[in-house]
Amino acid sequence: MKLSRRHFIAAAGAAAALPGIASAQTFPSRPIRFVVPFPPGGSLDVSARAVADRMTVLLGQTVVVENRPGAGGNVGVDLVAKSAPDGHTIVMGALSTHAVNPHLYAKMPFEPLRDTVAITQVGDVPNILVVGPSVKADTVADLVRLIKANPKGFNYGSGGNGSGGHLAGALFADRIGVPIEHIPYQGGAPQLNALLSGETQFTFDNLANAFPQIEAGKLRPLAVTTPRRSAQVPNVPTMGEAGIAGFDISTWFGIFAPAGTPADIVQKLATASIAALKDPATVERLAKLAVVPVGNTPAEFTAFVRAEHAKYREIVRLSGARVD
Amino acid sequence: MSELFDPLLLGFGVALTPVNVFWCLAGALLGTLIGVLPGIGPVATIAMLLPVTFSLEPVGALIMLAGIYYGAQYGGSTTAILVNMPGESSSVVTCLDGHAMARNGRAGAALAIAALASFFAGTVATLVVALASPAMVRFAQLFQAPEYFSLMAFGLVAAIVLAHGSVAKAVAMTLLGLVLGLVGTDVNSGQLRFTFGIPELSDGIGFVPLAMGLFAIAEIAVQLERHFVRGQSAAIEGLWPTRAELREAAPAAARGTLVGSILGVLPGGGALLSSFAAYTLEKKLSAHPERFGKGAAAGVAAPEAANNAGAQTSFIPMLTLGIPPNAVMALMIGAMSIHGIVPGPQVMTREPALFWGLIASMWVGNLMLVIINLPLIGLWVSLLRVPYRLLYPAILVFCCIGVYGLNNSTFEVALALAFGVLGYVFVKLGCEPAPLLLGFILGPMMEENLRRAMRISRGDPLVFVERPISLALLVLAVLLLVAVLAPSVRRAREKAFVE
Repeated sequence: MKLSRRHFIAAAGAAAALPGIASAQTFPSRPIRFVVPFPPGGSLDVSARAVADRMTVLLGQTVVVENRPGAGGNVGVDLVAKSAPDGHTIVMGALSTHAVNPHLYAKMPFEPLRDTVAITQVGDVPNILVVGPSVKADTVADLVRLIKANPKGFNYGSGGNGSGGHLAGALFADRIGVPIEHIPYQGGAPQLNALLSGETQFTFDNLANAFPQIEAGKLRPLAVTTPRRSAQVPNVPTMGEAGIAGFDISTWFGIFAPAGTPADIVQKLATASIAALKDPATVERLAKLAVVPVGNTPAEFTAFVRAEHAKYREIVRLSGARVD
Repeated sequence: MSELFDPLLLGFGVALTPVNVFWCLAGALLGTLIGVLPGIGPVATIAMLLPVTFSLEPVGALIMLAGIYYGAQYGGSTTAILVNMPGESSSVVTCLDGHAMARNGRAGAALAIAALASFFAGTVATLVVALASPAMVRFAQLFQAPEYFSLMAFGLVAAIVLAHGSVAKAVAMTLLGLVLGLVGTDVNSGQLRFTFGIPELSDGIGFVPLAMGLFAIAEIAVQLERHFVRGQSAAIEGLWPTRAELREAAPAAARGTLVGSILGVLPGGGALLSSFAAYTLEKKLSAHPERFGKGAAAGVAAPEAANNAGAQTSFIPMLTLGIPPNAVMALMIGAMSIHGIVPGPQVMTREPALFWGLIASMWVGNLMLVIINLPLIGLWVSLLRVPYRLLYPAILVFCCIGVYGLNNSTFEVALALAFGVLGYVFVKLGCEPAPLLLGFILGPMMEENLRRAMRISRGDPLVFVERPISLALLVLAVLLLVAVLAPSVRRAREKAFVE
């Protein structure tokens, strides 16, 4: 049969219309594209790959991880937000893309709460306040005393403007009532190097990044920024225990689908990803990355994301960070 | 001495088990292949292979991934020499003299010099990694923002020295590189600059699309124009370097190794910066600087030695601090995390078999590479006889795949094509793209560190001259600037007198 252009267009139109009638019975009918909006190799990326491996087994279709980094994660999430809402394209959203960027960027290509639906929170990485080798502080109180005595001698580094480390530092400066100079670096590795060489004095790094240096005794941990202590560093107090109240900053990430994805497909994706997060092998892989697995329901995750979105409006304002 | 030899013996014990020799060979071969293909670099390849390494033993996986990185340094020079297109960004400078040698009928000799210089550098760098890891790390930590700024200032001056021909054009190209480097998010303020509302531009222009466009695609356009004139039709006289070429190349390789070993350790360093720096140094030291760009053996040996040495010593901060100095090392850290090895200062003591096995495998891999590459020189040279109508479309396809593979982004492919057009214009105007690239790399780092240094000093510019390393670098930059400007000032004056 000779395929005329008109026939072809009609067929393509029908194929494009198909996702509209996708349902949980037939889902997934082809491989699922799992977009990671950050470069490969980080703890978020490796977690996505671990979960994808397990979801592939549970759903009977390959879940393919695809890295689409750019603009603080906005490029990758935007791509998924504008994809067909049939569950075959999902994204690993994070604190940055769903709670911080909307307040940080003057212009967002998408609106996270409106354009994506939450499936499940994959994990949580606590942030930890660490001081460099030259700082003679064993507790948060020591550090605060030193800073108050000599505010000009203290700088804190972070992985960039509006990064978790920057926001935590701004919140800390606000809580202790002393302005502290923020020095942004391009990512987690250079800022850690600066702390080790004494260019900066302290940082709020995510635990996965800082843990090797803490373990080797090069950096001193003072407090974790979550309400509960971390199993990985059980002797380190929380900020609350150390006397700084109302401090809850952790780097979280989870799976989102485009808004409009049918509820039964959302449920099917949630069931598979939650089961993947209960798999002992996956749990072990995440634990090695300092990731605490979560695996909550779509409703719980939606409420969490909304709360975080609201909370960071104020913190971003405090930090003065802005991208425009 | 046994403190050095015992761990190295342990390392060779691990690296020489049949299965690890196999992974080493696999990595080196794959690295050579992607090195030969322009566009497809080690970052894209290692990222693609990361999931595959899940099922391997950690040592085998890391040995293979490392092999890809330094293997690519060998392969990258092949395309640079034969068709004037850098197979890897770190072989950009090898084009200058390597391809000139090929045009003079010395393609085989250039390839042999590149392979031997790389092998020499690889051997020395393996020893450096084994011996000097702790000391090198301490040296790198002396570098803070003021030192980096001064190093970059020195590098920019060197960019102008690097160019042959008109100093004015070199300055203009360097400035253009600086401007292109401004595109993206300003690290210090978070301000978006020259992004025109395009989200893909908010992280800046990628180095690979820029280099591929200016070199590979522009080169194809230029060659298409000379459709019937085969530029490389010069007879190939012998595949082996002459005694004179070897005498010129040997000390250059040694100096290149030294430069590469030092620059590889610095954050942001590695193969690329090393090759540029080594070439500049050779040109300055040479008794015949006018021969550079026209087929000087030293101009091939020095950058090739430097990029290989830099590739290997960039493992030092990764292995001993757990801090990656470049994108490839960041991926290696990812590979380690996949296997549950927490990268950091404790790897050397906690995983000695892995640490020393990886180091020993680098030497084994380099030996394999030279054995693979020397007999294949004849084969590579015969590539020159492949008709352009087959060779160029193939290269163009690989460029596009390589650029796309970096971020899975079609925007970057379009960007590479746009830079291809710009590169063609540059060829027509007789402007060298090399200073542009260096300005593009160094400019943003220089600005970032200048502002960081000023922020930390609370606005006091004296930090740059109060710190000894920074002061020394600035003084060198000024001396170099005087040295470049002087002859051209003289020439201009002579010209004025004639008129």
